[in-house]
Amino acid sequence: MDDFFFSLLLAGVSVGAVYALIALGLNLTFWTTKTLNFGQGSLMMLCAMLTVWLSSQGIGVALAVLGSLAVVAALGMFIERWTVRPALKASGGSMGWVVSTLGFGIFLQGMAAKYFGSQAMAFPDVVFSAQDYVTLFGQYVSLQYLVVLAVAVALILALELFVRKTVWGRAVHAVSLDPELALVQGIPVRRLVLGSFMLSSILAGVAGVLIAQIGGTVDPAFGFDLVLLGFVAAVLGGMGSSFGALAGGLVVGILSKLVGGYVSTAAEHGIAFALLMLALAVRPQGLFGRPEVSKA
Amino acid sequence: MNAVRAWLSALVADWRLGLLLVAALLLGAPWLSPGTVQIASFVLIAAIFAQSINLLTGLAGQISLGHAGFFGIGAYCTGILVKTHGLDVALGVPVAVLLAGLTGWLLSFPANRVRDVYLAMMTLGFGMVFFEIVREWNDVTGGTMGLPGVPSAALRTLTILGVKVDGLGYFRLLLLITAGIVLLMRNLTQSRIGRAFYAIHVSEVAAGSIGIPAGRTKQLAYALSGAVAGLAGALYAHLVGYLGPESFALPRSIEVLVIAIVGGLGSIAGQVLSATLFTFLPERLQVFAEWQFIAYGLVLTFSLLVLPRGIGGLFFLPPRFIRPRALARAAARRAETATLRPAGQGAALEAEGITMRFGGLVAVDDVSLRLEPGRITALVGPNGSGKSTFVNVVTGIYRPSAGRVRFAERDITGLPDHQVAAAGVVRTFQDPRLVPHFTVRENLLLGAHRQFRHTGLAAALALPGATRDEAAQLALVEAVLALADLTDVADRPIDTLPYGTRRMAEVGRALLAQPRIILLDEPAAGLSEAEMERLSQLIRDMKAMGIGILLIDHHMDFLAELVDDVVVLDSGRMIYRGDIAGMRGDAQVIAAYLGDEAAHA
Amino acid sequence: MLELRGVTVRYGAVRALEDLSLRAEPGGITAILGANGAGKSSLMRAVSGIAPVVGGSVLLDGQDITGLPAPARAKLGIAHAMEGRRLFRQLTVEDNLKLAWSFGARRVALPASLAEIYDRFPILKEKARTPAGLLSGGQQQMVILSCTTIRSPRCLLLDEPSLGLAPIIVQQIYGFITDYAARSGITVVIAEQMATLALKVSRHCLVLRRGRVVLQGPSAELLQGSDGKALAASYL
Repeated sequence: MDDFFFSLLLAGVSVGAVYALIALGLNLTFWTTKTLNFGQGSLMMLCAMLTVWLSSQGIGVALAVLGSLAVVAALGMFIERWTVRPALKASGGSMGWVVSTLGFGIFLQGMAAKYFGSQAMAFPDVVFSAQDYVTLFGQYVSLQYLVVLAVAVALILALELFVRKTVWGRAVHAVSLDPELALVQGIPVRRLVLGSFMLSSILAGVAGVLIAQIGGTVDPAFGFDLVLLGFVAAVLGGMGSSFGALAGGLVVGILSKLVGGYVSTAAEHGIAFALLMLALAVRPQGLFGRPEVSKA
Repeated sequence: MNAVRAWLSALVADWRLGLLLVAALLLGAPWLSPGTVQIASFVLIAAIFAQSINLLTGLAGQISLGHAGFFGIGAYCTGILVKTHGLDVALGVPVAVLLAGLTGWLLSFPANRVRDVYLAMMTLGFGMVFFEIVREWNDVTGGTMGLPGVPSAALRTLTILGVKVDGLGYFRLLLLITAGIVLLMRNLTQSRIGRAFYAIHVSEVAAGSIGIPAGRTKQLAYALSGAVAGLAGALYAHLVGYLGPESFALPRSIEVLVIAIVGGLGSIAGQVLSATLFTFLPERLQVFAEWQFIAYGLVLTFSLLVLPRGIGGLFFLPPRFIRPRALARAAARRAETATLRPAGQGAALEAEGITMRFGGLVAVDDVSLRLEPGRITALVGPNGSGKSTFVNVVTGIYRPSAGRVRFAERDITGLPDHQVAAAGVVRTFQDPRLVPHFTVRENLLLGAHRQFRHTGLAAALALPGATRDEAAQLALVEAVLALADLTDVADRPIDTLPYGTRRMAEVGRALLAQPRIILLDEPAAGLSEAEMERLSQLIRDMKAMGIGILLIDHHMDFLAELVDDVVVLDSGRMIYRGDIAGMRGDAQVIAAYLGDEAAHA
Repeated sequence: MLELRGVTVRYGAVRALEDLSLRAEPGGITAILGANGAGKSSLMRAVSGIAPVVGGSVLLDGQDITGLPAPARAKLGIAHAMEGRRLFRQLTVEDNLKLAWSFGARRVALPASLAEIYDRFPILKEKARTPAGLLSGGQQQMVILSCTTIRSPRCLLLDEPSLGLAPIIVQQIYGFITDYAARSGITVVIAEQMATLALKVSRHCLVLRRGRVVLQGPSAELLQGSDGKALAASYL
């Protein structure tokens, strides 16, 4: 295997795992409300930017990350309460919440640009620096890539375990299957929905920090493409499936890195968006999902 | 408040005022500063662009987060053709419009397969893909460096058909084009096309039930919207003279969405006002420019909640979907409901051995029945016995697992719902599926969608033939309104009327589709005694017209006076067929309704 | 005791229940009869908190619960088996039961609760790991009943437990219900289309027609007063 291919592959796996993390965050709110936060990218950006800003104020990097995650979690709950819930109440269609969540994302992006400036900021090294390497199968492997991969996979596994093994996880699953039945069975659906947005935002924040760690910089526009890539991963894997999201994320990550390496760096994202449109048109239920049989 | 709205609506609808406004702007423009004329040109382009969203999202209900793509296609197409290939602008712009329309048409195919979130994401993806292509395709688009030197009015390099056009001339041209687009939009809204767009917006299933094909209607909406956005983009190209990929990225899509939503989706005049507002503000108020994105974000977040109908809804009455001139013409005619009598010999509908399985569940199990012209057949049975599923199979919403449906010697099994309706088999729904914002008359006219003979172009240009055709159907609508006792409420929006009235309107709408077979799914549910009496009279009228009728209902007294035959389903199986007196004494029927022992009591 | 005072339910413009009053005493079964669309399901949904109640009040053991959201009512001990055999079809039988137990009163430990159910319906033990949607209609109904009883409710609402089941299965299901009602002494309300069946097991009965009570009284009287004919008249 030649070095170039291997390094692309590793980079692809690593960012792919982060895309999967983003997809997972989207899945969470999709489970509980069948909605997605179209401003999720801004939460990713904000979390990374806040981390930069906090650490520039002399706060330790780890603490800065935690503080930023707390802010983003609070914003997630705000988004549910003030953009998604009223829109769902106002009309049956999806137009309302798509527009309102997107709007809030743009608002956050605008605020970030105004107060942090629109220049790219260097992201601090959270665990390892970009220069740290280990050798694996005779190849140099960036430690940052490995850490990002490990964190993403660990979170995905933890979430899957949570959903499968705990009462609250089962309750989330129940709400996704039949919200009305869940209500009647005494599951506090409203709190669960709020919680899902909070958790979804935290996942977005973590993903933002991880991507910024790999890329080295953040700017206010960062995030929009990423959330779309996360959506590609979710759709490829079948909306709502955790392992599907992981598989989808890896496919998108590896494919875009290979295209980026062998064709053109700039075509990296374009190819993923083209893939999205193709996947939606051909198999809306995802590569691994089965079409639903239901009685209308 | 509504009186003010009515006055304002009448004002903007008055063609003399429009003419006056256009004339004043045409003649008065030389007195404005070149800077103001330039901004006014941007306003007009934004107004055209906003109409494309208004058409796709406001009328047809399809969300788009990637409209900058169409705008960009229009701009780059004419830019490249005129600059690089030396084509005349008068040719470049129409080609650009066609290309953007074609792209819209092509995008409609994948877009038709998805909805809601997926559609929003897909259109977002479309915008992104376009942006990436433009940025990367250096040889043609100039990549990130952009495409400078497109002949432009602002740079005084623009000639159209050999005539030099400066900023002022271009503004006048834009004004005429904008006026034309606004007129076309209005005509389209008040035609069968606008009504069909709005119908698929509200319910594709209901639209299909009266013969409006959701797929083809959406294709048209995407193509038209793409073309209008492409036109705006092409005009933009020859205004500014420089095309860079950043001008066609996501912010452009967001901006036009903001304009359209604040303008009020569905309101044509609102779009123009909103385009003016959002183009002038950033230019005139430095503060606004600085906060632009924050403001856009806030507007998008809360506008649909605070001002769901936008400026348009604030100042004007909701748009109407029938041309006033057609209405006036119809008032002068009289139509007999006899015209609704099916042409030629009545035909029977035969369902043979229909079976419908969902996974392991057998909802309908080997049911056969025959609907004869001029006969009323009741379909009854306990909850979940498969009645509605049966109707869904016959009308093409489901494809049966086994069995055939034949109508007028033709096999219609598995045809899509709109083709079944077009063949003359029309249905109503358990929950009335009308267009809530339409008046009763508009809802009924929607039923006549398949009866129109004029072309879409005739409708868009409001040619006399189209108006005549509309008037003829409107006269029929009037007759059915009288038949269903709805004349008094004809001009009231249907969502303000009681449930019973809506049910009658839905039956009336089905009747205007000129059915030969009609399937009524619980039409009497939720009606008062008086309303039920009116409904049964209407059903008798339909029977007299020679229409074959299938009637699902639970009120046995209601059925007893009406029906010729009864078919009873239980757990998907047919357990009785015969007259209603026989049914009441039938042991199996009693067992199905009351439990086993009752039958032996 | 469950009490409804002048409850009106409206879906948009449709009135599903009109000024309906009812008292269901504990220690016996109250049957709600009526044809399709008579308002039986709306009545139950009004009690469990998922129907839009626009007038009147709902009381559980004297406590006004009209303003409480559905989960709070469930917590107070209202268990509702909804129409159309609603369960979480993709979850296994055991997951359905565990979920119901988790958000119930938890008066009995989970293993003991499960053991009791598996003892009563051995087939459910066999199918414990099967997705509930793949079970037969009768088995699904067993799961649904078990999901309500495992919560140790104070008030049990059963919406057409016989719907679409073979007579022999209906007998079995009703056997369980009467047994449970007698054993637990709680308030049990059953909505049924199968009039004679419901009348036999219930103590008190109401017949609905278009959202209103048209007939009510002790079940024994209703059953004797008619040989099915009078009742049949309100359906057919």
